[in-house]
Formats: sequence, C-alpha cells, structure tokens
Amino acid sequence: MSAGPLLAAHVASFRFHGADTPALRDISITADAGSLTAVLGGSGSGKSTLARILAAWLPGHYGGELRGRLELGAAGAGGRIEFTGGSDDPRIDPAAWAAHVAYVPQDAAAMLSTVRDTVAGELAFGLENLGVQVEEMRCRIADTAGLTGLQDLLERDPATLSGGELRRLAIGCAVIRRPSVLLLDEPFASLDAEGAGTVERLVRRLTAEGTAVVVFSSTADTLCRSASHWTVLGNTVLGSGEHDGGRQLAAGTPGTLLVAGVPADGDALARSGVVVPEDAPVTAPRRIHAGGATPLLELIDVRFGYDRAGDVAAPGTETLRGVDLALRPGEILAVTGANGSGKSTLLRQLNGLLRPGSGTVLLKGAPTDGTPAGVLAADVGLLFQDPRFQLFERTALREVAFGLGAKRRLLRRNGDDAGVRERALAALAAVGLDAHVNTHPLELPASSRRLLALATVIAREPAVLALDEPTVGLDRRGLEVLDTAMAEATAWGAAVVMVTHHLAYARARADRLLRLDGGVLTPLD
Amino acid sequence: MSRGTLSLERLNPLTTLTGAAAVAVITTAAGHWAFSLTVLGGLLALTARQARAAAVLRAAAAILLPFWTALLFMHGLFFPEGRTVLAELGPAAVTREGLLFALDAGLRTGVFVVAFLLFSFTVRVPELLTVLSARGLPPRLGFVVVSALTLLPAAADRIRRIRAAQEARGLVIGRSLASRLLAARLQAVPLVLSLVHESGERAQALDARGFSGRQPHTSLRTVPDSAPQWAARRVLLVLSLAAVAVRVALALFGGRA
Amino acid sequence: MASPSPQQPSLLLPEAPKRRRFLEILGAASIIVTYVVLVLTQPADIAAGPGSLAALAAMGGFLLGAVLLVVAVLPTLPTSTVVLIPIAMVLNIVLGQFVGSTLVPFYLDAIGTVLVAVLAGPAAGAATGALSSIVWSLFNPTVLPFAAGAALIGWLAGLAARAGVFRRFYLVPFAGFLAGVLGGVVSAPIAAFVFGGTSGLATGAIVSAFRAMGDSLLAAITKQALISDPADKAIVFAVAALLVYALPRRASFQFPFVRRYRVLAGREPQGREPAARA
Repeated sequence: MSAGPLLAAHVASFRFHGADTPALRDISITADAGSLTAVLGGSGSGKSTLARILAAWLPGHYGGELRGRLELGAAGAGGRIEFTGGSDDPRIDPAAWAAHVAYVPQDAAAMLSTVRDTVAGELAFGLENLGVQVEEMRCRIADTAGLTGLQDLLERDPATLSGGELRRLAIGCAVIRRPSVLLLDEPFASLDAEGAGTVERLVRRLTAEGTAVVVFSSTADTLCRSASHWTVLGNTVLGSGEHDGGRQLAAGTPGTLLVAGVPADGDALARSGVVVPEDAPVTAPRRIHAGGATPLLELIDVRFGYDRAGDVAAPGTETLRGVDLALRPGEILAVTGANGSGKSTLLRQLNGLLRPGSGTVLLKGAPTDGTPAGVLAADVGLLFQDPRFQLFERTALREVAFGLGAKRRLLRRNGDDAGVRERALAALAAVGLDAHVNTHPLELPASSRRLLALATVIAREPAVLALDEPTVGLDRRGLEVLDTAMAEATAWGAAVVMVTHHLAYARARADRLLRLDGGVLTPLD
Repeated sequence: MSRGTLSLERLNPLTTLTGAAAVAVITTAAGHWAFSLTVLGGLLALTARQARAAAVLRAAAAILLPFWTALLFMHGLFFPEGRTVLAELGPAAVTREGLLFALDAGLRTGVFVVAFLLFSFTVRVPELLTVLSARGLPPRLGFVVVSALTLLPAAADRIRRIRAAQEARGLVIGRSLASRLLAARLQAVPLVLSLVHESGERAQALDARGFSGRQPHTSLRTVPDSAPQWAARRVLLVLSLAAVAVRVALALFGGRA
Repeated sequence: MASPSPQQPSLLLPEAPKRRRFLEILGAASIIVTYVVLVLTQPADIAAGPGSLAALAAMGGFLLGAVLLVVAVLPTLPTSTVVLIPIAMVLNIVLGQFVGSTLVPFYLDAIGTVLVAVLAGPAAGAATGALSSIVWSLFNPTVLPFAAGAALIGWLAGLAARAGVFRRFYLVPFAGFLAGVLGGVVSAPIAAFVFGGTSGLATGAIVSAFRAMGDSLLAAITKQALISDPADKAIVFAVAALLVYALPRRASFQFPFVRRYRVLAGREPQGREPAARA
C-alpha cells in the first residue's frame, strides 16, 4: 500500500443530465487509512451526489457529466482516473471500485438485493457474484457478522430487521469485501438512540481496524465531532438564481471550524445549514393558552391492536390499551416512546386511517366513527413519518394542491382553480420551497421533501396538526421552518400533536410531554 | 390427509420441474381423453398428499372451471366439423364430436394446469434458481424472478400506504365506477414513480456488489440431490422424447396427426 | 485517461458485452417457424379431437423461442434495466388486476412490459414480456405458452418507442392497436391448438359465433383475438405512455435508450450536445 491517502478526489464540476447549473463545484477531499472524515452540508448541498461520485455510482454511468479526478492510493498507477466531461470519459467498473471504496446510501434498504431470504444470504450475495468459493464465503460472512454484531440475526429475513439492524446489514454488505475506504451517507437517518448507538460503535471499530471512513451528514453529531477533518458544503440561495450549493465553503479540523463548540456567527458552518446539536435555537418560553377551552380532539379509553385476521386483538396484546387524550386549541403536545411502542398507530387514530377497537375519538365534540378519513382530513392534518409515502404528485405545486378545494372528480383537477393555486403557493412559500414549484417531489433533497410534506398539511389549515417524527432529516433551516409552522398554527387556534424520539426537541417545543409505554399515555416531567 | 410420505417439497426442484414437464408432454403426445383422465386422477391423488393440497386445488379450480365452462359452451353447441348430431337447437347443434373435443381438450389442459401448479406450489423458488443457474441459465434470470415474487406483496402494501396518504389529504373513494377509476389513476402513478425511482438506486447498489460481473457465480446455498432423483429425471426425459417420437412417427406414417 | 498497470485488476469497465445475435435470431426464428408451420399444417379435420402434434409444436416452439430470447437478451442489458423488469412484472399483475377489476372486457396485463420497452428498448421489452409470462405461470400455468406473444408485444412497443411514437401521445393508441393485431394473430394458435379454445364466457361467445358461421377453430379464435386484442393493447400503450410522462426527468433520462433515440418529446436535456461533441 502506498504511503499517500487511500482516496483523493477533486471534483471541478458535476452536472446532472438536463440540469442548468452544476450540482457540485470545486471540491477536494482525501481520506487516510484509519481516519474519520466528515462532509457536512445542509439539505441540497450535494453531499449525497459527492458521495456517489466518490463511490463511482455516478460518473460515466448514469446521471451526468463530471470534470475532475479520482485517485485510489492502493490501486497503483491504474488508480488515477481523469474525467473531462466528454462522452469518451473512462467508465469505472463499479464492482472493481467497490473492492476499494464502498458506499452505503442514505436509504439502507436500497443496498439489499431483494432476492435473499436470510441475512447470511444477503451478505453472501456480493461474494457469490464474484465467484468466491463457499468455504471462503462462510469465513467472510462469520467475520463480517462479528464485526457488525449480526451474529444472532444470520438466519432472519432481512425484511423483518429493525432500522438499526438494517443499517448494520447494509454496512456489512459493503465491508464484506474489505474495502479500504467506506463512505456512509447519513448513517443515523431515522434511527432511534439505541440503533444509532450500535451503528456508531461499528464505525469506530472500522476506523480502529484501519478503514478510512467518510461520513456525509447534515448534523454535526458526536460521531462527526470526533472526525479528524471536516469539509463543509454550502446550500444558501444568494438571490437571482445564484446559490453556493455544492461549493466547498470551508475545510479543516472541527476545532478550527467550531469556536468554543458552536459555529461563529456568519461563518461557513452557520451558513451551510448544518445542525450543530448544542446550538439549537432557544425560543421564548411559550405561553399556555390551553386554559379551559373545550378540547378540539378527544380520545376516550381507545384500545387498538393489529391482528393477523383483521379482528380485534385479544386484551393485553393490543398496541393501545386504553389511551385518554384531550387536545385543546393553541396547544402543542409531544408524545415520546421507544420504537415500536405504537406512536404512529396512535396518530393514525386521530384522522381515522385506523379505527379504535373500542373507545371513542371525538373531533370538535362529535364522534368520528362512520366518517371517512377523507372527510376527517379537513380538520386533522397528518404528517407521515416517511415522506416517500406521503408524496405522490408530479410537481410540488400539484402535490400541495391535491385535495384542496372542491371534491375531486375524474377528469377535473383542482390545480386549475385560482384560489387553490394561491393557497398552495402560499404554503410552498411558507416552507421556503417557492423556487421549486415545478420540481418533481422525488427530485427534491430529503429535507426539502419533508418540508413539502409539511406544506401539504399546513395548506389545508387543519384544526389539528398530527406530526410523526417531524424533525427527522431536517437541516437547520428546516427546523426553523417547522418551528414557524407550529407557532403560526397555534396562533390561529389549531392544536399540534407530535410524536418524536427526539426528547430534547420535544422538551424545548411542547407545552405538555407524554410518554407512550405499554399502550397507555403517562405524563413525563 | 396423510402428508410427508410423498411430499414433493423434499425433492430437488429440478426433479419436480422435469416431472411436471414430462407429464404435460406425454399426456399431450398421447392425445386421448381416457389417458388424460387417468393421469389427472393420479395427479389429484398426489396433490391430496401434499401439505398445500387445498391451495393447489383452489388455484386449479379458479383456472379450470371457467375454462371448462367456456369449452363446453363453445364446442358442445357449435362444432361445424361434427357429424353425429345429438340435438339441434336453432343455429346450434350438439354433436358427439364436439363434446368429445371439449372433453379431450379440457382434460388435457386439466393435466397441464394441475401438474404445473403442483410443481410451483411445492417448489422453493430460490432453490430452483440456484439449481438452474448452476446449469447455465443466466444468474440474472434468478434475480428477476425472485425479485418479482418479493416485490409483489410489497407493491400491494405500497398501494395501501399511498391510499392512506391520499385519504389523509381528503380523498374519499366511493363505490361508483368513476370514483374507483379515479382512485386507480391516483394510486397507479405514485406506485410506478416510487418503484422506478427506487430501482435506480438499487441498480447502482447491485453493480457495486458485482451483479454485472461476467465471472461464474458461486452459491452459498446447496440444494440436496440424490442418485435416484438423477435417474428419475433421465427416465422422465427419455419417456417424453419417446412419446413425442412415437407421435411424430404416427403422423408421418400412420395418418392421424 | 487511465492505463491500468499490468499487475492490478483494471478499475475500468471492459467493452460492453456482445449481443448474442445468434441466440436472438434463433429465438425469433423458432417463434416464426412454429407459427408458419402451425398455420400451414393445421389439422384439416379436428373432428377426431384436438391435434396432439400441433399442440406439442405450439407449446414447444413458442416456449423455446421465448426462453432463447430471454437467455440471449438478459445478460446484455444494463443493470438499471434488469432491476426494472421485476417492477414491470409486478405492474403487469397489480395494475392488470387493479384496472381489470373495473374494466371487465380487457386484460390490461402488459402495462409494465410496455413501460419497460419504452424506457429500455425492444430487446428489454421482449425479455420482460416473456419473463412476465413465466413468473405469472407459477400462479396460472395456462399463460406459459403465451410467453412468445407477450414477448412480441414488448418488442413492438420498443420499436414504436424507438421510432418516436411516444413523442406524440395521439400516435400511441394506434401503435398499440397495430401491436395488438400482430400479438393476437401470433397468440391465436396457442389458444386453438394447445387449449382447444379460450377461457372466459365473453371470448367464448365470440368464438362460438364465428364457429356457427362455419369458420375453422383457428380462424374463429384469430378473428376473436382481432376483436379484443387491438383495443386492449391500445389502452395498455396509452396507460403506459401516461405513466412514462409522469416520471421525473432524472428517472427517465437515466436510461440510455431514452436519451439515444429521443424517445420522449421536447424534453431533451439542455447542455448535453456540446459535451457529446467535445
């Protein structure tokens, strides 16, 4: 192995097919053996694009035109590859490249082949393709399972894994060929504290064994804090169509970029939209207007259980076992609880997507049973945990306009209606997406996608906002938008109920904090 | 219902596949309703001893009952080639030849359907593909087939989620045709979008894991096989070829096609 | 440009895999020859029962042709197309059931096949059609012999896309109609010789009507196919076109076939031309 960095890259520019402006400009990055490097940037900064270029998932393949250079220290003379953006550029063999530089995308499930019914089989998939002999394969699977802590899960079906287990399996699939460089895109996205802990320990073990790990993140979390080098990418709109997205704003050690542990005002880190946890903006203490007003929404002894046959579950096995809840105008209520405690199930009771097995849901004093969810939606807006399942239209504008105004008919759409259009545009402006009115929702960066989902909820001006893990994946600007949206909603007399595992955020924002445990709600504090 | 003694699930998937194909070929080559009926009876007896007998029979009935009804109606009433007229009903005529034709074609298809359902309901698909790619079929074939079988329930689940998201934004689906068509349109587009969108990412992950490599693949999974099964497959193959050869010889020299 | 050092395995992709022309031609020939032989030698007198040799030939020839096409095409497709095929198969089944439950007289079981053909070309479309029949046959074995017809639909859809039909929506149903005519004609001998008829009362009634007028079984089933298949495929092509139009640009333009043959109208990405010439 040569003494230089394992991976050195310079991206002069990268532009997607069909895009007018480059997604990345002038970025240099190196990774040394055993080091941890962090690439930080807010939503839309192009950090996933950069990760894919380094992983050879983009250049010369799908996507766009790259000018720059990739250099692989361990691969000798053949390891230096130049790109000029022309059609005769070299095409990297992704499998050969992955032997040195492995990448785990933000959506860990995309890493899986979908054709293996056990964890061991999934780990073996990459080795089978390379023609590795069975004995060797078994050894490597055992090694990788030990490294990633998957020993006891080898016979499980990958479809049944939890978020943290799935992420570790994806990393396992990436490292089973023992690459010298590992690229991790938002490794903690949508993991609870326990899942994140197991992944963080795995990353530290890999660096200790000499792997160069590069983490791409929008949060300067504890893992990134221990990195030896930071590269900060910009994403601020500078006006007149110009922006510094995809440009390297700063690079250096965490110490030089953070003054006394927080980003200095006006510096690169603050401009980038990166969330620095200790630096959560402090808001004025909320006044509680939840006095004696009548509840907007009331749950009385709600019981609910999933059952294979679709019947009511047996008592004692239900997800919700007698939940009582009253939500008053202007109130912000937070519900916490472990993964799988039924938080999302609870929210679905509020807007009628799920109906209680027994007990009553009262909306503005009237029982909701028998009213279709589509009608209840006028009063209860639900932000889903995964925006991929909430967004389904072709453009951001159509997305927000969906279901606004008159009832839908087969051959008439509501977007034509001027009033609807105005409301949709206002909601998009409120979440800062006015520049993306005609963008396809799936082409928006993750954080903007969640904000778009939020816009679809607030555009309807519901009396109750039900938010499922609203902070996940948001960068700093996104968190500010969320704060504003909640403040405005409560100001017009709406009530907000959010479920989150982000306890610090819940404490800072909510008037009341409840915990869902064993199927019942108990006050926390 | 006794199970286990003749369970096809324990056999090598290649054996059951060869069996199903051989039964279909030999029955077709024989081309006689009495032979088809005997084979069908045998297949049903074999089905009854499988753990998934009910599922096989239900699937077979769903395919065969409408088909048999249509055959009886088509050939039982209208068969211009028929000579022995049993009854005249206006423009329609019930002929002996027509009824025999329906019986012949119906039983033959019955054998075909039950034989292959028996195979597909007792086979472990990943094992089948391991065996087939070890015998030279492109490994991608295995990927495509298993991936489709995995995605099928996932797609149904995806439609439910999309529908929930739309109901949460005010969609009410009624019972009228227009309302159901609207729902179909509203849910089909996002289903396709999200599946195609994900496939792009999956393609890149697969490439990074050597999916496109042209070196011979190996397999972690081993599929049990035995000498008697190997011999049985040879015998079935020879019997099928012989049946076809006899049929061709008869056609060339004996007259009846 | 990199030059790989002798002792290191190359990081660059080798030349694109050769198309297996021979197998492709063999597969197509097997289907065409089978069809011609069946039509020329169709048993003049079916009174003695459904022809057993014709059934064997139809089953064997068409299935062999479909399998050869799959084996020829599959290894040459880029991975982005291969992962699309299972999705197309799922769409064939799910959308077919979904829409089919409201529109009874049509099967609409090829939407996914046409979608893949438009995005990835005739070869991918043909492979998708054949594979879709093979997977669907695990639940309903009677569709297995129709694999060749499904492959033909996929291939024709790809040719239409390459010719630019999908740039103008109003042309799409016509292309579907023509594909349906050809597909119906090729599939009719299967129904006639392998199964001795069609399933379902509506189609059965149409066949009976032609039989009552004295047509041979093959002629009656071919005419029935010519009544229902073109309309069915016109709808399928139109639905697939609408789905393709709804895709985000980045998703549809990731397919080289779409870029190379300008399959979709007016949305040619800006700024690519100079780079391609440079």
